[in-house]
Amino acid sequence: MSALCPPPSPAVAKTQITLNGPSPLLAATFAYWDNILGPRVRHIWAPKSEQVILSDGEITFLANHTLNGEILRNAESGAIDVKFFVLAEKGVIIVSLIFDGKWNGDRSTYGLSIILPQAELSFYLPLHRVCVDRLTHIIRKGRIWMHKGQSIIPMLTGEVIPIMELLSSMKSHGVPEEIDINDTVLNDDDIGDSCHEDFLHNAISSHLQTCGCSVVVGSNAEKVNKVVQTLCLFLTPSERKCSRLCWTESSFKYESGLFVQGLLKDATGSFVLPFRQVLYAPYPATHIDVDVNTVKQMPPCHEHTYNQRRYMRSELAALWRATSDEEMALDSIIHTDESFTPDLNIFQDVLHRDTLVKSFLDQVFHLKPGLSFRSTFLAQFLLILHRKALTLIKYIEDETQKGEKPFKSLRSLKTDLDLAAEGDLSIVMALAEKIKPGLHSFIFGRSFYTSIQERDVLMAF
Amino acid sequence: MISAPDVVAFTKEEEPEEPYDEFPALPEEYSVPLFPVTDHVHPWARLPSAKFSRDFILISEFSEQVGPQPLLTVPDDRKACGTFDLNYFSLRIMSVDYQASFVGHPPGSAYPKLNFVEDSKVVLGDSKEGAFAYVHHLTLYDLEARGFVRPFCMAYISADEHKIMLQFQQLSWEFSRASECLKTGNRKAFAHELEKKLKDLNYTRTVLHHQMELQKKSSEKGFYTTQAIEKANELANVEKSIIEHQDLLKQIRSYPYRKLKETDFQLFEAECVLDQTSILFPLEEQPEGHSESNCYTRRPSYTPKFIKAKAAKCFDKKLKTLEELCDVYFFNQTLDQLTRIEKTYRGDLCYLLTSQTDKALLKQQLITSFLFEDGSAWAEKLCEKPYDENSGTGLGVITPKSLEEPRSLNASASLDSYKSSVESVPIKMEQEVVEEDPEETKRTEISLYDNQEQAECLDTDMKGSISSGESIEVLRTEKSASLLNHSESQPCLQSFPSPQAVRSKAVSRRTISEDSIEVLSTCTSESLIPEDFKASYPSAINEEESYADNEEECGLQLPNFSLQDLIQEEDYSEKENVVPVDSACCIGKDSSYFLEPSTDQEHQYDDGDVVSSPPQPYKQLDQEVHVNFSVEDVAYSSESVTEGGPLHELDVNYLTSSGEASRVSLDEHSDSTSYRSGASTTSDRTPSPAHPSHLSERQKKRAGQNALRFIRQYPFAQPAIYSLLSGRTLLILGEKEAIVKKLVTALSIFVPSYDKTAKPVKQWVTSPLHIMDFQKWKLIGLQRVVSPIGSNMLHALNRYSRYVSVLDIDTKTLRCPLYKGTLLPRLADHRTQIKRGSTYYMHVQSILTQLCSKAFLYTFCHHLHLPISERESEETIEHRRLNFLTLHLGLANEDIKIVLYLAELLKMHYLQESGRRVQPVLRFDYVPSLLYKI
Repeated sequence: MSALCPPPSPAVAKTQITLNGPSPLLAATFAYWDNILGPRVRHIWAPKSEQVILSDGEITFLANHTLNGEILRNAESGAIDVKFFVLAEKGVIIVSLIFDGKWNGDRSTYGLSIILPQAELSFYLPLHRVCVDRLTHIIRKGRIWMHKGQSIIPMLTGEVIPIMELLSSMKSHGVPEEIDINDTVLNDDDIGDSCHEDFLHNAISSHLQTCGCSVVVGSNAEKVNKVVQTLCLFLTPSERKCSRLCWTESSFKYESGLFVQGLLKDATGSFVLPFRQVLYAPYPATHIDVDVNTVKQMPPCHEHTYNQRRYMRSELAALWRATSDEEMALDSIIHTDESFTPDLNIFQDVLHRDTLVKSFLDQVFHLKPGLSFRSTFLAQFLLILHRKALTLIKYIEDETQKGEKPFKSLRSLKTDLDLAAEGDLSIVMALAEKIKPGLHSFIFGRSFYTSIQERDVLMAF
Repeated sequence: MISAPDVVAFTKEEEPEEPYDEFPALPEEYSVPLFPVTDHVHPWARLPSAKFSRDFILISEFSEQVGPQPLLTVPDDRKACGTFDLNYFSLRIMSVDYQASFVGHPPGSAYPKLNFVEDSKVVLGDSKEGAFAYVHHLTLYDLEARGFVRPFCMAYISADEHKIMLQFQQLSWEFSRASECLKTGNRKAFAHELEKKLKDLNYTRTVLHHQMELQKKSSEKGFYTTQAIEKANELANVEKSIIEHQDLLKQIRSYPYRKLKETDFQLFEAECVLDQTSILFPLEEQPEGHSESNCYTRRPSYTPKFIKAKAAKCFDKKLKTLEELCDVYFFNQTLDQLTRIEKTYRGDLCYLLTSQTDKALLKQQLITSFLFEDGSAWAEKLCEKPYDENSGTGLGVITPKSLEEPRSLNASASLDSYKSSVESVPIKMEQEVVEEDPEETKRTEISLYDNQEQAECLDTDMKGSISSGESIEVLRTEKSASLLNHSESQPCLQSFPSPQAVRSKAVSRRTISEDSIEVLSTCTSESLIPEDFKASYPSAINEEESYADNEEECGLQLPNFSLQDLIQEEDYSEKENVVPVDSACCIGKDSSYFLEPSTDQEHQYDDGDVVSSPPQPYKQLDQEVHVNFSVEDVAYSSESVTEGGPLHELDVNYLTSSGEASRVSLDEHSDSTSYRSGASTTSDRTPSPAHPSHLSERQKKRAGQNALRFIRQYPFAQPAIYSLLSGRTLLILGEKEAIVKKLVTALSIFVPSYDKTAKPVKQWVTSPLHIMDFQKWKLIGLQRVVSPIGSNMLHALNRYSRYVSVLDIDTKTLRCPLYKGTLLPRLADHRTQIKRGSTYYMHVQSILTQLCSKAFLYTFCHHLHLPISERESEETIEHRRLNFLTLHLGLANEDIKIVLYLAELLKMHYLQESGRRVQPVLRFDYVPSLLYKI
C-alpha cells in the first residue's frame, strides 16, 4: 500500500505521543480542503511505537480520503458532521468529524480524524460516542480560536492525547463484555457480607437513577473493582465495554463519558474530580466511595443537560472574548466569566427511595450462590426494568401524541404503571432516557427552566 | 406583591428575543443551544429538514456514462423517500471510490487482473437534508464496462443518525449478506458472459482463419495484400483476446470460496448443484483449492457471433442493468434480503433497542420465559446471528451453571411425587387416547390398593370427613386412567404431601367447606350428575359468606390432594352419599378398564363409575419418599434427607446428583396412585390447533386493545384474570363467534403456557365440553346454542362450574371465585389512563414478568422447600413457605395462589426440559364461586 501512497508534504507536522500501554489508535489527523489542491493534511498525531503499522504516507492518503466528496458538503450552519469508515481493503476504520471554519478570513472545510485498525471495530464502537462528544467539543472551541486567527493544533492536541490515553487504558482495563457474577457482590452468601446492606442498595439504586453512570473511588483497588463489576451487572454488554476498572498500581484520570469507572484514591486519601469533565459527561453520575460507604448523585438528566449546556455556552463565550493566550488557558476561562457561577456542589445525597432495587436485593440473596439462579433472577430484574421503561415511553408517547402536546399527567402515569415510589420512577425514567434521549427534558424540562428563570430574575433584583 | 411567574413574564416582555442570552457576542453557529427541548424539538421529533417520512434503502451506481445515479429504492414506493433528492444523495455517497480498487493491467502483468475487492462501509450524513446513511460499497464485474468494473452502493437511509451508529454492526452484517448475494450472482453472470465471449472469439478466429485461407488461395502471386495483413492483425488480436478472456475466466472461477464461507451465507447451493455439468472450456489448469468453478457451466444453445474488429464507442453501448449483471435469481434474492432489512430496522430506535435487549435477556431465562413470552424469543436462540455477540444488547453474565439447560441435570432424579403447593387437586391426564392392554392395566390397577397402610389411612380420613356434606369430584376418564399404565415407563407427577399435615388439613377443611369433591367416571358433557345441578349458586352474598368462612378457617394452609386422596374420597362418597349417575355419563363403565381391587374397595368400581369419597390425606409414607416439589429437589435424594443436616449446605452439585432409592420408591408410589377409567372420548376431542404463542405486533396491539376494553367494560375483569393466572379454566360463553374469539384472543395474554409450543387456549368450541378439556385448555371460547343440546351444555357448565369460571358475554355475567389480592388492580384497573392497546400490552408484559420473577424465586429458593434439620416437620416448612410468600414476596390472599400456580408450571416445565414427561394437571378448587353481574 505504501507504494501507492506518496510521502506527505514536508509541511505536514507530526506529533508523536508516548503512552503507557499499547495504543489501539493508529493515528489522528487534521486535514482541510484546499480550494486548489483539494484535501490536504495539516497535522498528524501518532503514538510512539517501534512497530510502524501505518506509514505517514498511508496516514495522509487515508486522511485525504476522509475529505473526498466534501466539496459537495451541504451542512447546517455550525454543524459538525461525523463520518465513519470501515475500509476493509485497507484494514482500518476511520472516524472523521467534518466541520466548516474560518481561518484568516477564508472559509473552508476541515476534518479531524482518528484511525484505528479494523480489528478494533467491536472495541471501538461502544466508545464511539465518548470520542465523538469529546472531539466535537474541542472542535467547537478550536473553531472559535481559528476564527481569531490562531492555530487550532495546540487545542486539538489537548484533546487528542487524552483520547489516545483513554483508548489505551480501556484496552488494558476495560470491563469485559461478560461479567462473572462470582466476582461481584451478588455472589455473597448473604447481603451485607461484602458491604453494608444500605450502602449496596443506595449504590445500585442511585447508579440506575443516573442512567448507569457511576464513579467508584476507594483506596483498595480490589474492593473498588468488585463494586465496579457489581454495578456493571446492571448495564448492557455494550455499556460495560464503555466502563473501566481501577488500575491497581496508580490512579487513572477521570474520563468523561464512561459508564462506570473505578478510581484509586491518592496517598492523601482523596480523589479530585475535574468539574468540567464531570459536567460534560452525557449523563449525570453517581459518586460512590467504598472507603466510607457514601453514595452521592448528580441532579437528574434534564437538570444535568441544562447545567452542561449553560456551562458550555459560558466556556465558548469566554473563549470568544479571550484576547490573549493566558485567557485561553483551559481551566481559567469560567472563573474569569462573571456572569455565570456554576454550582460546584453537584453531588448530593440520594433523595429518592425506591422499591424495585430494594426488593431485588432482599430477594436475590435467597437464591443459592454459585449456581445460575442469581444470574437468571438478575436478568428477570433487568427485563422488568426495560419493559417498564418502554411502557413508560409508550405511555408518554400516547399521552402527548408523540410530543405534539405537553405531558400533564405524571400522577396518572405513576398510578397506571405502578411507579408510585419516586425512586422507582427515577430508575425507570433514567433507563427510558437512554433509550429515548431527551425524555427527561421533555417531561420535566419546562417546569425546571421556568423555576430557574424565576430564580435568576429574583436574584437580579 | 409580585409573584415569581409575573416577574418572569415581565422580564420576557422586556427581552422578548433572548432573555437568557448572556453572551450575545458569540455567534450561534459557534455555540450550543441552551434548551435541548423546545416546542418543535422533542424526543419524537424528526429533523425538520428531513424530506422523507420513513427509512428506506437506496441502490446507486456510479455509471461510467452518466455518473452517480439512483437505481432503485426499497420499498419501491415514492412515498418512502418523499421529496428527498435521490440524485443529489447518490452523487454524495458515490462521489468517492472508497474501495480504491485496482482493476486493469497492473504493471508487469500481461493480462488484466480482476481484483476481488472487499466491500467498504461508510456512515455519513447530510445534516441539511436531515439524512444519514449507512452506505455499503461494492463492485460488480461487467465485461463491457471500463476496467470490467461497475461500482455500486446500497445505502440504508434514515433521519436518525444515532440509530445507524448503534445498529452499525447488524446493518453491516445484513448488507454484507445482500452484497455477497449480488456478487455471487454477478460472478456467475460474468463467467457466463466470458464463456459466450470466448465462443464468439473462437468463432471469429475460425472465420478469420477461413477467410485468410481463402485469401491465400486466391492470391496467386503469393504476395500479402493489405487486406491479408489486416486480417492477420485481426486474427492476432483475436488470439490475444482469447487468451485474455480465458485468463479472466480462470480468475473469476478461482474466486476464493472462503469469502463465501465467512459470510455464512449459502443461498446458492441449489443453483450450484444444478450446474454441476461439464465446463464449456475445460481449463488445463484447474485452480487450486476451493473455487466457484462448479457454478459456471455450460449454457446450452448459444450461437456464436462474429465479432467485428472495432467495438462500439463507449457512449453508444447500453450498459447492463443490475438484474442482468447479477442473474435474476440472485437479484431477487438480494431484493428479498433488502426488504427484510428494511422491515427489521424501520421504525423508532427505542423499540428496536428494547426488542433486542428483550431477546438477549429472555435467552437467559428460558426457564421462565415459556410462561408468557413470545415463542420467537427462544426460537431465535437456535439461529443466533454472528453479530449478536457484539450487538451490545444482551446481558452477558457468566454463571457457573446454566439454568437454561436443565438437561444437564440428572433426569433420573425423581420428582414423581411432589407436593402440590396450590389449593387444588392435580389430576394428571393424558392428552391422547391410548389403547392399553386391559390385562396390563388390570395388573397395574391391582397394585393401586395393595398397600395396607393406605387402607388404614382411608379409614381414618373417612371418619374425619363424615361431618362434611361435601365431596370431591373427579371425572374419571380414560385419559386420567391411562396415567397408570405409564407410571412405570414414564414419570408422573403425583402429590405426596406430608401425611399428617394433609390429613388434618383435609379433615378440617372438609368439615367447614360447603363444597364437594367428587370422583366421576365419565367425560362427555351429557354425563351430568343430578346433584351437580343442585350446585347452583343462590346468590353472591351467600357465596361470599361461605368463602369468607373458608378463608378464615383455613387461611392459606390449604390441603394438597392427590389422585389417591380422591380415590379414597370416592370410596367414602359412595358409602355416605350415593350419587345417582346419569346414564349418559357412564361411558366409563367399560369394565375392562376397571380392575378388581384386592381390597374392599373392589365393589366400588363394579357398582358404578361415579363414586364419591371425602378428601383423604396421603397416608404416611417413608420419609425417603417425601420429596417436595422444587427444582432443587430434583436431585435431593432420599439419602440426603435421611443423613440429616441442613440440605442447603450440601454440595452444590446436588442438583445433578440422583437418588436411586428415592426414584425407585417414588415410582412405586406413583404406581400405586395411578388410576384408570374406561371412558372413551368422542371424535371431536381430537386436538385442535392451539392458540399460537407467537403473536405479531399487530396481533399484540389488537389483543391489548381488546383486553383494555374488557377491563374497562367489565368491573369483574380482575376475578376473570385471576382465574386465568391461577390455572382455573375460564370459559367464555357467547352466541357470536367473532365476539367470543376476540375476547379469547384478548384474554389469552394472561394465560400462562405449559410449555414452549402454544398457549392452552381454545378459541372456539361448538361441541360439548368434558373435563379433559379443562385439563388441556385454560381459556375456552364456547358457543351458546339455542337448542336442547345447548341447554344440556349449560347444564354441564353448571356442573363444571366448580372447576371452571364462566364468563357469559351475552348476559354479561361471570361466575368465578372471589379475588381480593393486590396484584391485579395494578394489572387490570378499569380507571387506567392507558390509551392504546399496544401500551397496555407492554404494561401487562411488564407486570407478568414481575410475577414470573416471584414464581422463579419461590421455586428455586434453596432453603424454602427443604427441612433445615431432620426434626423439622412439614408444617414448619409449610409455614416457612407461607412466610416467604407473604413477607418476602409481599403477596396476600389470592396473589399467593397465582404465584404458586406459576411456580408449579415452572417445575413441570423444568422437569420436561430435563427429559421427563410431565402432563399438565387438572385443577379444581374448594373455593366457591360468585356470580358477578354488571
